[in-house]
Amino acid sequence: MRDLCAAAVDAATGAGAEYADARAVVRRSQRLSTKNGRVEQLTDTESEGIGVRVLVDGAWGFACDRRLTAEGASDAALRACAFAKAAGGRGARALAPLAAQTGSYRTTYERDPFSVSIADKVEHCLRADEALNGRDVIVRQASLRALREHKILLSSEGTDVEQETVECGGGLDCAAAGDGIYQVRSYPSASVGMSQQRGWEFVEQLGLEREAPRVAEQASALLRADLCPAKVTTLVLDSDQTALQVHESVGHPTELDRVYGTEASYAGTSFLHAADLGSLRYGSEHMNVTADSTTPGGLGTFGFDDEGVPASRHPIVEAGVLAGFLTSRETAARIGSGHGGSMRADGWNRMPLVRMTNLHLDPGEGTLEDLLADVDDGIYMETNKSWSIDDKRLNFQFGTQIAWEIKSGKLGRMLRDATYTGITPEFWGKLDAVAGADAWQMQGITNCGKGQPGQGAHVSHGASPARFRDVQVGVKA
Amino acid sequence: MTRALDVARRALEATTGEAEAVAQAETSGLARFAASEVHQPTLIDNVVVTLRIVRDGRTGVASTNRVDDAGLVELARRAEEAADSAPVDPDFPGLAERGELPRVEGYDRATSELGPDDQARLASDAIAAADVPTYGFFTSAVSELAIVSSTGVEAHQEMTDATTLVVAADNGCSGYAEATSWRAGAIDPAAVAREAAEKAARTNGAKEIEPGRYPAVLEPYAFADLLQYFSYDSFGALGLLEERGYFAGRLGQRVFDERISIADDALDPSGLPKSFDFEGSPKQRVELVTNGVARGVVWDRTTAKRAGEGAKTTGHALPQDLDDWGPLPSALTVAGGDAESTDELVELVGDGLYITRLHYLGVVHPREGVVTGMTRDGTFRIRDGKIAEPLVNLRFTVAVPELLREVHGLTRDVSLINASNFYGERYPYGALVPAVATARFNVSGVGSAPGI
Repeated sequence: MRDLCAAAVDAATGAGAEYADARAVVRRSQRLSTKNGRVEQLTDTESEGIGVRVLVDGAWGFACDRRLTAEGASDAALRACAFAKAAGGRGARALAPLAAQTGSYRTTYERDPFSVSIADKVEHCLRADEALNGRDVIVRQASLRALREHKILLSSEGTDVEQETVECGGGLDCAAAGDGIYQVRSYPSASVGMSQQRGWEFVEQLGLEREAPRVAEQASALLRADLCPAKVTTLVLDSDQTALQVHESVGHPTELDRVYGTEASYAGTSFLHAADLGSLRYGSEHMNVTADSTTPGGLGTFGFDDEGVPASRHPIVEAGVLAGFLTSRETAARIGSGHGGSMRADGWNRMPLVRMTNLHLDPGEGTLEDLLADVDDGIYMETNKSWSIDDKRLNFQFGTQIAWEIKSGKLGRMLRDATYTGITPEFWGKLDAVAGADAWQMQGITNCGKGQPGQGAHVSHGASPARFRDVQVGVKA
Repeated sequence: MTRALDVARRALEATTGEAEAVAQAETSGLARFAASEVHQPTLIDNVVVTLRIVRDGRTGVASTNRVDDAGLVELARRAEEAADSAPVDPDFPGLAERGELPRVEGYDRATSELGPDDQARLASDAIAAADVPTYGFFTSAVSELAIVSSTGVEAHQEMTDATTLVVAADNGCSGYAEATSWRAGAIDPAAVAREAAEKAARTNGAKEIEPGRYPAVLEPYAFADLLQYFSYDSFGALGLLEERGYFAGRLGQRVFDERISIADDALDPSGLPKSFDFEGSPKQRVELVTNGVARGVVWDRTTAKRAGEGAKTTGHALPQDLDDWGPLPSALTVAGGDAESTDELVELVGDGLYITRLHYLGVVHPREGVVTGMTRDGTFRIRDGKIAEPLVNLRFTVAVPELLREVHGLTRDVSLINASNFYGERYPYGALVPAVATARFNVSGVGSAPGI
């Protein structure tokens, strides 16, 4: 694969590219789910190829070829150059300087998830599926996933890096229905469960079978729960929903390509401006957010991004003030700050884009119980169910699977169909407590979409439960 | 022999016994632009084959894009391992039998011959036509779907598609337009850009409004998006069987205004036609709502067997890697009404909102059909039967059945709205919808002003 990348870079520079990089990628993924005692899905997918990105007279071009052969590499390079020339540019395009990088990165794990037999995985799911049996339950689903990606990146600037990442995870989804009401409860997160860059040991630690009875009981209980009231109140979010809040209202708006408008035609732009760096008040002094592509186990952890920039850790929000953006080499050069490090592509046949890596809300102090203790009247929400936010990442509305009212510092009656809404900097300005490191959990998101053609990304967010004052909850249709 | 069919046949030959091979091939170019400059031009050439093997009622599935002989042997090994590891599936209906497949349009040689130079040129045509900075893309592709099986299925379709999408935006203003067809010649990128720019020019100085329930005109872009999200839970058989969708327990009942009739019709040449689904079953037109009455949902073979009672596939199986969604419509078509234009709908509404498109929709409560999202790139107040001042982006939270229960009218003409964001393997699909005027559009909040 390394020779093919070198051949592609040579072919591109020979065709007039002032810059070229080539990524050869071999990816294998497994997805398995059982539903109501039968195997719902059992797929084993492999995909391989080479993607070549070029700059010709200041214009980008990208082409790819599934053939990991000299001919495929050369064809991709020449087609990328041809597309760049046809597209044209406005002259020189600066990239933040990067010394030639060499090295490798591999996920560390105890047990390769692909070494676990499919039969064992099926059995694992079926046991958890069976344990979801309960009153009112109409859908029991257990899921597992695993992914291995091996890639080599070479550039015309001398970068030569090799990486192998391994992810795996799983989850439960349980639906109950009765009297025209339909409710879902999941563990540890909705729809796709939770994944990390770890081995099979992570799936075993999730304890799907162990957690299943509680999940089923809560799904059933939700059928008889009261509706979340509409009011302005104190809101406490669990780690899962706080992570989603970070993803949507901090992660995406701090992607510098969105700030510069290059995502305007699909995912949207940002309420932030480049000049806001270092001065914009994003939230309260309790808000500290860090981008960290070195976090062990993170889905956004790597040795080098897809431009070859080494992994790093840097603040995005410090004590409530905007302190950094997620950048590529091009956007870093444009803003005159940073060095890139957030460029990621979805496989071999997509162009790298500015993406989140791991973006964490740094922990505060105390426990969830401490957060609740300081609430006379409020609502505690758990596990994301629905999400929507505007194109500038300002106006959001999120829903959770389950909620409880908080009365005099204690959880009270269960509530269903809980939603809350707000405007990003106003909402984060109402943050008055984040629980401490013992309550900090790293959540994984595997369905983050961006780009045209569309690309998925896998990112992690660490977060502790967090408390927000004076939030509108209970949005009605 | 075409590429996908050849690959599917060879994949089937790599195994023995009961099996099915599904191959998808794509040759595409997408010239994406921002601030009136092409910045992400992407050329993709790929072929992917998925092999499903059945062993005594147990099924296993594997996919690859390594389609040389060694790759296909390895593919068969992985699929066999999966099948051997799976328990017997009592709901497995068996592989589809060979059936009569409808002949459809949807392939245009001129579109298939567009190359990178053409795709870049057509993107440039859009950029040059607008007097406002443009953000969007031109894309065209030729894609293939081929299915062969040990039960005699041999289905193949070659498809073309082309889309121009333009957001014209500057400080404080933005407008949107798009055009999709299986014939690139039917698309005028410059006209699309002009429509977006003209809309953008009218959005400067956007005002806020109070949340509340408003009558509203939804352009086809907005209506198609809303219906698409509603369809995930309510127009497919799995949502019905799992009691997740709005139609559960309501088939045969009046659910919408009598002006509303919705079908799924992949055979319509004015859409993005398809002959068969991912099991090789022939596509059928399915009446979902007729004159406001819930008539049915779409089915695949698995859900039909599970339901029993005479249920049969309607040709709506998804690819194996998406089949946990169950069967879904991919060619929604809403019958047009009597209005000659959106202006006539605006007159009918009199006082309300005019909404061009929606953004980032989310299903809040599937059973009630509640969807939230934002308006974007052209939201206006309607006063005295005319489009009046521009509005900021609005947060809406609507129960789709309620929105469609009281309809003032629909345009006679319908537009084809692209529904694919080109994730994964290329499979063009979209919806044919008119503009609609509703009495009930619930604004639950206000957002930012339009513009970049």
